[in-house]
Amino acid sequence: MKSASELTDFYYRELYPSLSELEKTRKEILSRLKLYAGMGIVALLLTIAWIGKKFGLFHPAMMAVLIGFIALSSIIYRWTVSGYAKDFKERIITPLIHAIDPHLLYNPGFTVSQHLFERSDLFKRSIDRYGGNDYVKGSIEGVPLEFSDVHAEYQTRDSKGRTQWHTLFRGLFLVAEFNKHFSAKTVILPDHAEKTFGSLIGGWFQSKNFSRDGLIRMDDPEFEKTFVVYGNDPIEARYILTHSMMKRLLDFQRRLPHPLFVSFVHNHIHIAVATGKDLFEPALFTSLFDYKQAMEYVNTLRNTIGLVEELKLNEKLWSKR
Amino acid sequence: MQVFLIILAVVSLSLILMYNSLIGKKNQVDNIFAGVDAVLKKRFDLIPNLVASVERYMEHEKSTLEKVTQLRSEGMKSGISDEQKIALDAKLTAALGSITVAMEAYPDLKANENVMHLQRSLAEIEEQISAARRAYNQAVTDLNNAIEMFPTNLVAGWMKLQRRAVFEITLNERQNVNVGDLFNRS
Repeated sequence: MKSASELTDFYYRELYPSLSELEKTRKEILSRLKLYAGMGIVALLLTIAWIGKKFGLFHPAMMAVLIGFIALSSIIYRWTVSGYAKDFKERIITPLIHAIDPHLLYNPGFTVSQHLFERSDLFKRSIDRYGGNDYVKGSIEGVPLEFSDVHAEYQTRDSKGRTQWHTLFRGLFLVAEFNKHFSAKTVILPDHAEKTFGSLIGGWFQSKNFSRDGLIRMDDPEFEKTFVVYGNDPIEARYILTHSMMKRLLDFQRRLPHPLFVSFVHNHIHIAVATGKDLFEPALFTSLFDYKQAMEYVNTLRNTIGLVEELKLNEKLWSKR
Repeated sequence: MQVFLIILAVVSLSLILMYNSLIGKKNQVDNIFAGVDAVLKKRFDLIPNLVASVERYMEHEKSTLEKVTQLRSEGMKSGISDEQKIALDAKLTAALGSITVAMEAYPDLKANENVMHLQRSLAEIEEQISAARRAYNQAVTDLNNAIEMFPTNLVAGWMKLQRRAVFEITLNERQNVNVGDLFNRS
């Protein structure tokens, strides 16, 4: 696979014509948005002043006006940016992905299926709304994989019957074939309990997690501090999590600024990185030529696709061939 | 009187809980040992084939091959204790390891598809055995801790539970970081 610097070169050199056109569009959109914002604020202030004079400052109509204003602004914002975002994905992200591997398929509007997300068993709540974008599918060094942005939400009702939406997971979700056969389920989650309460009490809490299978303590203290492992077969969990695999996962988590969730189900590895934001979206308030911005696109793609090599999923057990 | 009753209830409840948790831990150890046993048997099944295929080539390792066969037949005997199985496993792993290393010196062997097939199967089984050993060791450590720690040690003493032996994890296994040998790299 191409190195990060090769890809950055590609970004600046090969994509330069597209980048400069998009950069022009970006600036136009930005000035248009500024204009809209200016007009909107003036209109809002005038309305507020009028309502304030007529009905008083704390009239219910004021609330309606504010909510309406926020809703309208977000609609206008999306409408203004949508063409630019589409262009950006077509002209920048698509070639970038193909530069990493020409056989990868990319679909900006599609997502890893909800079925796979639920199969991973990483998140226990039932999902009420599921979405995502930037779907990539293909095979890296003979290992089939797919990933996309995922946003999974659940709904609650408060005492007044109002529905509220909560994010269950937002970030990158990847599914790849694992290099060993297994039939049990092994789930690796970030270890909050042990970090907060220490290994004795935290460990006790973890073993009392009834929504999960049995707690499996691993024989790598560092790994055990960072993650908690649940599974229904302690032997198979260790067959998957060899000392080297634990070390690789630990290294991966150390490089990530976000929590990492990994599960092994149905001969596949499922990886969820809770970035909390939508990836591969075009920058609006920073230049597309900005180095940090470029590196973010390149690194996110490279690190995700590079996971196959990093976790050595391509070194298949002979019997799996 | 009431206070006495409450104390009695609390004490008997904690005794029951401790008893049950010890039984749970003991059964977990036995369960996992059954898993260990299953993979060890898999390896036993492979050994006669392996020995038969390589002995024509490996003149100098005759004694090691004989030792492997002998260890296998000892392990297959019924009625040997878990401790004995653990000790036999260590010896067998070492002997098979030395055969694998020695095979490097025989180019004819490396060209033999059948032998390579057996060697790869063996490598896979070794991985499974290693996982089973680690799982067993963790279960045994949990049990041994409970047997030695206060207050469960009192109940364990009364139940006549004995400490169990763990598999020694060899340095080789610890350094399993480079598993290249176990995989058939392309």
